[in-house]
Amino acid sequence: MIGRIKILVVDDELIVRESLIGWLKKTGYEVSAAEGGRRAIEMLSEKDYDLVFLDIKMPDMGGIEVLDHIKANFPQTMVVMITAYGSVETSVEAMKRGANDYLMKPFDPEQLTLLVEKLIQQKKIIDENILLREHVATRVRYEDLVGGAKCMQQLFELIEKVSKVDSPILLRGETGTGKELVAKAIHAKSDRCYGPFIPINCGAFTETLLESELFGHESGSFTGATKAKKGRLEMAQGGTFFLDEIGEIPLKMQVDLLRVLEEKKFHRVGGTKEVPTDFRLISATHRDLMKEIERGHFRQDFYFRLNVIEIEVPPLRKRKEDIAILAQHFLDRFRRETNKPITGIDQTALELLEAYEWPGNVRELENAIERAVVLARGRSLTKDDFAFLLRSSGQVMPQSMREVEKIHIDRILKLCQWNISKAAKLLAVNRTTLHNKISKYGLRPPN
Amino acid sequence: MGVILLGPVGEVAGHVVAANIQVILEVPVDLLGRDEVPAHTFQFQRQQYDAGLILKYLAELNFPHFARIIAVTNVDLCTPILTHVFGEAELGGRVAVVSDCRLRHNYDGSFAPLDRYYERLAKVAVHEVAHTLSVYHCNDAKCVMRYSPKVQHLDEVGLYFCERCEFMVRKSLGHIRSTVDI
Repeated sequence: MIGRIKILVVDDELIVRESLIGWLKKTGYEVSAAEGGRRAIEMLSEKDYDLVFLDIKMPDMGGIEVLDHIKANFPQTMVVMITAYGSVETSVEAMKRGANDYLMKPFDPEQLTLLVEKLIQQKKIIDENILLREHVATRVRYEDLVGGAKCMQQLFELIEKVSKVDSPILLRGETGTGKELVAKAIHAKSDRCYGPFIPINCGAFTETLLESELFGHESGSFTGATKAKKGRLEMAQGGTFFLDEIGEIPLKMQVDLLRVLEEKKFHRVGGTKEVPTDFRLISATHRDLMKEIERGHFRQDFYFRLNVIEIEVPPLRKRKEDIAILAQHFLDRFRRETNKPITGIDQTALELLEAYEWPGNVRELENAIERAVVLARGRSLTKDDFAFLLRSSGQVMPQSMREVEKIHIDRILKLCQWNISKAAKLLAVNRTTLHNKISKYGLRPPN
Repeated sequence: MGVILLGPVGEVAGHVVAANIQVILEVPVDLLGRDEVPAHTFQFQRQQYDAGLILKYLAELNFPHFARIIAVTNVDLCTPILTHVFGEAELGGRVAVVSDCRLRHNYDGSFAPLDRYYERLAKVAVHEVAHTLSVYHCNDAKCVMRYSPKVQHLDEVGLYFCERCEFMVRKSLGHIRSTVDI
């Protein structure tokens, strides 16, 4: 049996309403009726309907006017126009305005059955699609962007605000802070979420390859271009285009992109046909673009075009309170992926993680957790599993035990910002011993 | 339940409908005689009879001892919104009408064998009576409650209910039995 699909029948003729309602009820649908356009609009604002049968000619308000209202306010609702013989042209006009189909009175029973079944199937797919997109959007927002720190809460609020407008956004932040995740969250929250999210890392391509990646090319436009190819700009139609590492983009390409942004159209490499563009631009960089402009590496006009709204993504060292949540988040993920029975991160390890400066930001933390999970032997991650963080590549190896001890204590003290209790705990010595060692090696806090 | 003939429909058709309802629904069914098809139900523009108006006419007939009245006719039936119907009944109503007009021929215009024609008539009658027992259309391919807009669809469904529809029919009949004598 069919579930309770909600259908509204709008017709000024009582006999038509009764007859159609009777037939639809026998198929198990929940059916309501309105005797005119105005009443239909009232009813639509009170309840969600999956399908509306709408008479074209009604005395109080024309069916086309009601259709426009439905498509403007309830775009997911399916509409079938009911028409009498001789008003097919109006029905065609209604189809152009968004009606899903039309039926001429009286209906062939088979045609009516097939039409209703088809539209209800379509409606179910649309509803499922919306649910899935909402689900994906929520996951992007709340799972990948983890953070309880005040600066992250402000960032979330900013994402909510900027996602509602279509202005270009420039994301600034150090490497590994999660700029692409912020871009994805803005896309997922925006009206363009039904369109694609197309990212490109400008630093990952040579100039020629970047041009082809961005603009696409026609076949035979250069050696090796055997087939025509769509560029990322073209793929981003209706969605969001994310230009990562925008500071790495060559000057010539900056001019080309500036033209695309101003004229909203471009040509494929080797092509003559204009391709229109319709995307929201989000760019990201870890560089100080103002300095790049001063050095002559970045065009000022391009900068102003990109930087309508600027968002700063904070480095991990400025939100140390999030380290424990993030570490647990990554641990959960890698535990699932590696199928290792690791239950948690112990306190000493957490203290080490919180003391570390994380120059590589969240990405470095993610990699550190992955490495620790893969190599861990116990059921809980300890500070020994993160010992690799204390090693510094490129440093000259000390010669004596005394030198090793001095360097190690100095490093731990810096990590703990000279908090003696924390440092002593990490070094597994008591506070007195640590004070003695500090005096012995003549260690002093920086300024 | 009672079966009434409307217009010059064959007597056998009435017997077939009564017998099949009696066997499938396990309720006593009486033949109530013959009546004219009410003239006001004729739709001149469409040259058909309005099944809805026939139902209203039947509802006004005085058969207080019958829980359900099923009319069998040979005229072509339609509704204000449908080009044709094989039968009509209001969901949970007291009356139903079935017509053999479109059941004698196959979809390609050829004559249907007599047994096929009677089987179709019985299916339409059982289907419409079940609507009066508040049973909806069914998606089960073989259930008699599957909606059949054309004769070839009628030939595909069975004469019996699927488990779910059978349950609903029995439940409705039980409820009716507790209030009136079927």
